Amino acid sequence: MEQLILASGGCDPANDIICRPDNVIELFEFTDPLFTIGPLHFTRTVILIFLAMFIVLALLFFGLRGRKLIPSKFGVMVESLVSFVRDDIAVSIIGPEGVRYYPWLLSLFMFILVGNLFEITPFINFPITSRMALPGFLSLLTWVIFVFVGFKKNGFGYLGPLVWPKTVPVALRPLVGLIEFVSTFFLRPLTLAVRLFANMVAGHLMLTLLLVSGWVFLSSVGEIGIRSVIGIPWFVFGLGIFVFEIVVAVLQAYIFTLLSAVYVQSSVHPEH
Amino acid sequence: MEEIKSAIALVGYGLGAIGPGIGIGIVVGNAISAMARQPEAAGMVRTTMFLGIAFTEALALIGFVLFFIA
Repeated sequence: MEQLILASGGCDPANDIICRPDNVIELFEFTDPLFTIGPLHFTRTVILIFLAMFIVLALLFFGLRGRKLIPSKFGVMVESLVSFVRDDIAVSIIGPEGVRYYPWLLSLFMFILVGNLFEITPFINFPITSRMALPGFLSLLTWVIFVFVGFKKNGFGYLGPLVWPKTVPVALRPLVGLIEFVSTFFLRPLTLAVRLFANMVAGHLMLTLLLVSGWVFLSSVGEIGIRSVIGIPWFVFGLGIFVFEIVVAVLQAYIFTLLSAVYVQSSVHPEH
Repeated sequence: MEEIKSAIALVGYGLGAIGPGIGIGIVVGNAISAMARQPEAAGMVRTTMFLGIAFTEALALIGFVLFFIA
């Protein structure tokens, strides 16, 4: 409801045809701390991050607790998620040693999935991954891991094929090497974070504008009369986007995990 | 001045989205024809398709960021 008020502030259904907030950033910033412990201020975003963490922990704990020969339906669901990340992402991309990296990939996948699905959860309606801090931090973690693994597995030979690629003609090697270096160490973490962030921002923005416009127009039928039918297409369009966003949320969690696995794979076997 | 800057940034993002749009079309189209030819390889093709989309998309995303910081 707080978001509805923010988004419909300055909306005039008698003259406009869609409701736009004065400042889009208001939709993503919750600056008022809900409660404070010492120097730490807990805003809505921070509480949602902790909520996502507890949801992931609870899912894995209750799903895999007391593993029986015939697991419950809930256990089967959690097990299929876990085996999807282990077999279809970690092992099939990185190879047999991917099993070592799959706890990290699983936590990435589950946390991003829950965080993305907050976008369409009623009464939460805010994807925590649409704040750059969160995807930025997660992709920094991926960066640290794949650079560390690259240097640990290959020593300084890790840099060799990157900055001086042997498969390219000699005259082109400095240029290709420079491009490879920049794209590996700077563009990879940047695009990894921005991909998730941009998709979530765009989705949240579309959902908020369309559904709030529909709600504002349809609820002010007493004041503007027949003009309130403008709200119907906004509302229908918003519900269509709502379904689409479920797909986007799952797909972006999958792509983030997949690309993390691919980056680690390129550090483990740099020649491929 | 501020409005002109953001309008130019918007045009720049639109131009930057052309290439990835065409590229993703090619990637997905070829993936579909590969899956239609060899349905048993669909799982592998799908994974590779998502990878290709993710790499192709990068330029559009950089344009998106430039639109915000311009």
